[in-house]
Amino acid sequence: MTFDMHTAWAIPTFSNLADFVPSMLASGANPLGHVLDKESALGDYLGFKVKLSAVSIVVAAILTFAALYIASRRIDTGSANEGAARYLTRGRISQLIEVMVQGIRDGALEPLLGKATTAYFLPFFLSLFFFILSLNLIGLIPLGDAQELSAAMTGSEDAKKLGNMVFFGGTATASISVTAGLAIVSFFAMMFQASRELGVKGFLEHMCGGKELLYGPKGLLLVVPIIFIVEVLGLFIKPSALAIRLFANMLAGHTLLATIFMFTAMAGEAGGWWLAGPISIVSALFAVAISFLELFVAFLQAFVFMFLTAVFIGMMSHHADHGEHDDHAHEDAHGAGVGAPTHAH
Amino acid sequence: MALVLAASPLDFDLIGLTVALIVFAVFFILSAKLVWPKITKGLDERFEKIRHEIESAEAASRKAIAAQAEFEKRLQDAREQSARMIEESREAAKKIGADLVAKNEAELSDMKTRAMADLESAKESAVRELNDHAISLATVMASKILRREVGATDQQRLVSESLAELGKGSKN
Repeated sequence: MTFDMHTAWAIPTFSNLADFVPSMLASGANPLGHVLDKESALGDYLGFKVKLSAVSIVVAAILTFAALYIASRRIDTGSANEGAARYLTRGRISQLIEVMVQGIRDGALEPLLGKATTAYFLPFFLSLFFFILSLNLIGLIPLGDAQELSAAMTGSEDAKKLGNMVFFGGTATASISVTAGLAIVSFFAMMFQASRELGVKGFLEHMCGGKELLYGPKGLLLVVPIIFIVEVLGLFIKPSALAIRLFANMLAGHTLLATIFMFTAMAGEAGGWWLAGPISIVSALFAVAISFLELFVAFLQAFVFMFLTAVFIGMMSHHADHGEHDDHAHEDAHGAGVGAPTHAH
Repeated sequence: MALVLAASPLDFDLIGLTVALIVFAVFFILSAKLVWPKITKGLDERFEKIRHEIESAEAASRKAIAAQAEFEKRLQDAREQSARMIEESREAAKKIGADLVAKNEAELSDMKTRAMADLESAKESAVRELNDHAISLATVMASKILRREVGATDQQRLVSESLAELGKGSKN
């Protein structure tokens, strides 16, 4: 790159941008270069290597917690002397969070798990959802590119010395390491529910196919070892599927965006700016459309991860061993118990 | 600006996994303590408030409907009662009127009968008195006739005296 480093805020020239844009938007000819996790500049200060995704997680968690904390104070009902106004939630973000929390609790979790189990696990599910959502949404903001552009425009000595001025950015959930960490959390939540609801004996019975199989006709015992192996594999496959689904979806979306942006660079190399100009406009339009899709995917994948974790947790219950049944009828019979869906393997 | 890229999307980074686990754990603990209880409390209280308000509104509506029905029933009863009372008073007035007429007629009839009786009695008394005067006059006249001869002048004088006596008797 040939940036003017003589002034603190050098305006990029046309040739500078020609060099910079392909690098920033698509990392040259490889769209994955833009999407894949990179080393953070923070590692140069800390003395050990840190990936951008790791720093992004910390930043996202802090920002999300701050936003949720502020929202929680606005959603919470005030003192009695405020009258009817105490029941109002002020602020659009707070209202949005309130609607999402209510939708998740009343619309998704309670019909699946029943009131009691939902109330018990609600903080976990909401934390999981908003944590993943924040990681997904932060990935939609080109923070890394902004830092890179900023460093290029300021031309600071640090940037020249260190070579990398990107501290955080990118989609953390497009990293298999991060989604694996979240899947491990889900796995432990499932195990926790199993020990809480079933106990050791109940869990082993569950792993062997349930009481109907173990204490039923003797001939059925032959299939117990097979079921046990399948169940053990299922214990690890379920969280693995969660990790891979989230990682693959987020990686694919950003790869698609990077590929669309890459067309501008490719056109510039092939036919100069007269070709890159029109193609960049078309690419930008497609990128906007895909970004809206990515915004939807960010919410959807966060919800899917949380919801499937709830489904797997719901399976770890006495009720799940009963086979197919009417969840609501079951809940009525047991008070506010767990009404898990069909036992899926 | 050389960025060090991961070689493959599936390259595993243990630090990333550890950071994800630790940060989520901290995030979960802090949120579970400081955020979600307030939000769920707010949601529950709001839900209860809305439920209570709806129930109150429904109860008030039921009360209003019941009160309206009661009011309409009472209004209907009052209308019926007032119509009945008007009818009764009309009947009573008619009866009183008829009674008064009958009583008046009876009294009038009694008065008439009494007046007729009095009149008859007075007439009989007058006739009897007239007869008595006539008899006494005749007696007087006869006694006088018997004591002397009566000339034309005496006759005239006797008639005049008899008439005067008769007039005096009538006055008495």
